Amino acid sequence: MSDTMTIHVGPRPAALGALGTYFDGETAEAQPARLRIEEGQQVLVIEVRGQQKVWPLTDIRRVPDQADREQLVLALAGDPVVRLVTDEHRLAQRCPNLSRRNSHVKRGRVLGWAMAALASVALIVFVLVPRMADQLAEYIPPEGEKALGETTLSQIRTAMNQANLEPLPFCENAEGVAALKAMETRLSDAANLPVPLSVHVLDHPMVNAFALPGGHIVFFKGLIDTAETPEELGAVFAHEMGHVVSRDPTRHALRSAGSIGVLGLLFGDFAGGAVVLFLTERLIEAQYSQAAEANADTFAMATLENAEVRPGALGDMFQKFLDKYGDAEGTSAHFLSHPKLGDRIANSSARQAEVTATGFTDTPLLTDQQWTALKGICR
Amino acid sequence: MQVISPWDAAKSMTEAPDTPAETEFSGRRGRLFWLALKLGFLTVLTLGMYRFWMKTRLRRWYWSAFRPMGHPLEYVGDPWEKLLGFLIAVVFLAFYIGVVNLLLMFASFSLFNGNVAAYVLSFIGVIPLWFYASYRARRYVLARTRWRGIRFGLAPGAWGYAGRALWHWFLAIVTLGILWPRKAFYLEKYITDRTYFGAEAMEQGGKWTGLLRPWLGVWLPLIAAIVCTAAVIYFETNAISSIPQLDGPLTPGALENDMVHRAEASLFQMLPALVVIYLIWQPLALINYNVKRLRYLTSNKHLAGAQLSLAPRFWRVTGIYFWGYTLASLVAMILLVPIAIVAIATAVGLGAEIGLELGAMGHLSQVAMTAIAIGSYFLLFLMWSVLMHAFIRFPLMRHYAESFQIANPTVLNAITQRPRDEFGEAEGFAEALDVGAAI
Repeated sequence: MSDTMTIHVGPRPAALGALGTYFDGETAEAQPARLRIEEGQQVLVIEVRGQQKVWPLTDIRRVPDQADREQLVLALAGDPVVRLVTDEHRLAQRCPNLSRRNSHVKRGRVLGWAMAALASVALIVFVLVPRMADQLAEYIPPEGEKALGETTLSQIRTAMNQANLEPLPFCENAEGVAALKAMETRLSDAANLPVPLSVHVLDHPMVNAFALPGGHIVFFKGLIDTAETPEELGAVFAHEMGHVVSRDPTRHALRSAGSIGVLGLLFGDFAGGAVVLFLTERLIEAQYSQAAEANADTFAMATLENAEVRPGALGDMFQKFLDKYGDAEGTSAHFLSHPKLGDRIANSSARQAEVTATGFTDTPLLTDQQWTALKGICR
Repeated sequence: MQVISPWDAAKSMTEAPDTPAETEFSGRRGRLFWLALKLGFLTVLTLGMYRFWMKTRLRRWYWSAFRPMGHPLEYVGDPWEKLLGFLIAVVFLAFYIGVVNLLLMFASFSLFNGNVAAYVLSFIGVIPLWFYASYRARRYVLARTRWRGIRFGLAPGAWGYAGRALWHWFLAIVTLGILWPRKAFYLEKYITDRTYFGAEAMEQGGKWTGLLRPWLGVWLPLIAAIVCTAAVIYFETNAISSIPQLDGPLTPGALENDMVHRAEASLFQMLPALVVIYLIWQPLALINYNVKRLRYLTSNKHLAGAQLSLAPRFWRVTGIYFWGYTLASLVAMILLVPIAIVAIATAVGLGAEIGLELGAMGHLSQVAMTAIAIGSYFLLFLMWSVLMHAFIRFPLMRHYAESFQIANPTVLNAITQRPRDEFGEAEGFAEALDVGAAI
């Protein structure tokens, strides 16, 4: 090959040879290169130091996102390191596959691993953590359990009132508290509880109540407003006592205790806050298993009977929820999210019929005066 | 007259070994701006999923703009491997957050009746991981950087780095920060001495005391400020209330006492001025330290007999930061206006129940306003990152390129290739832990 040979680059032969810099990927030397296109074979011939490198035009790729548009940085498909730099842009028009992806990464394999990664996360979150929490809940000492409940309660109060930056207030009207205490005494005397209770009312319109580890039972104002008789409220009280006895809340709170806060630490910003809020809501919603709910119902009805309160009151309260919201999901009361609410009402009335047949007589749970005071506990 | 073709010129070109090779910088700010805007927009639209692609493409652009000896750097990282690395890190962190923290919480509540111990332990556990992640991120980026067809690389040693980082941080903290530059030097040396260009290892020369002088400009005022604050708090609580009125007879002791009190009082008068001076001085001193540190550390790096040098200028860097942040803040403030309006309107509306009075019309406009506020919120993040690229990173990099030189560059020609570093997890941990990588 001589220096006088015609060099064809671009749609028509160029007057002068195209020049470039060739990097062979073996040493760092920048080698001056002379380029021409061999039309017959449709290849680019790169002449470097008397040697010829032959690149098929279909295998030439452009290195993308170059800051300098004056230059073309070209790569050879299949070869990870060789590069050719030239300012002869007409060369680009001759390479049909210039913009094709040229990467060492196999996308299919990556997707496979990605699926495996997501599956592992799901395994950790939905299997490993709940199982461990259930096991550990058996071994937590009573003081620790109470502290866990207090911490969870303050997290819930803070998360539910993010707008004001202050925890959701407790309702502490003295007469109302006394009435609530009377109800508590009457019911817990009948229930034989393993831990002393601490009962609170939160000033929030949500129609809900929940139990937390260590004997915490929390009512929302909305629930007290909705209940028409003290017995209905007492039925919910007894139901939550059932959760306290079975320690469902301990298992539940342990699951998220590790995650709340640490997630906030890791993500920091508003995304972290959203995650914490989501976890808190799950705590309040308290989606225990159907068996756990059924056990709590049974416990509640037994307790009500012992305390000389109609076990049918539980069904009456559930009927209120049903009338108010329908047997649908998506409302904010955790009693509602159970699809078998109708069955639970039926259970309660069946039990009521049973005890009525055996001559059950009930005593009012609260006096009218006490009930009025309790209704006004948030004033 | 003899015509010399470029071919002949190139063949006969001999590089003079004594003149240091300069660095070119190509690429225009406007292009970077639109690229960053486009990629950032896609990232917002995809709820952040596109950020692996955004990062890859922006790095390709920056790398190719930086051209020592006229040859561009090349970034060959792949977004898919970044995505995979992130997912691997997420699995690990899910385990950490779920299982390890559950055990910590259990132990903490069982033994201490509270969660503080668990948070502290959990946080302490993340610290070495953070250093580990930053080394691994550096290793990934170097393994995917090429120049003149040759790969860079960083030898394994992330746990060694994490251990040393913990130790140097500890020393810096217990010495009230005076050993901060020592930490900076030895950590940089650990990384540089494990950095390879092809088969050739880099070397960090110099001594840590070379960074001491610029650091004193930061450290001395800082200590002075701490002492002053302590003194002010002391006087505030004790002395100022008991300044005696000069009613009684003038004894020498009373006069002296009075002068001390007057000195204290004048210190209080000077206080606002001192605070202003300190607030202006401290960022400038920090910039100065960073500029000098970069200059010193780079200029003491060697590669196979070639010597690097970098001479960024303090006032230039200060100007870039000043104008860059001024512009970005201005744009941010403009974007904050609709957010603020909606926030105030909502607060007022809730207070006076305006929403009820306006009825459906008010409700509609409320929805529209909220949509505008959310849009502005995302636009704020987007524009901030775009402006950071166009008006901070771009001019800084261009400025660094102006003075980046390689002395005795011909020795680099003989450097040979190194094998590929597979590195499956990419920079996943750094991504998940948000270890502050520049780009």
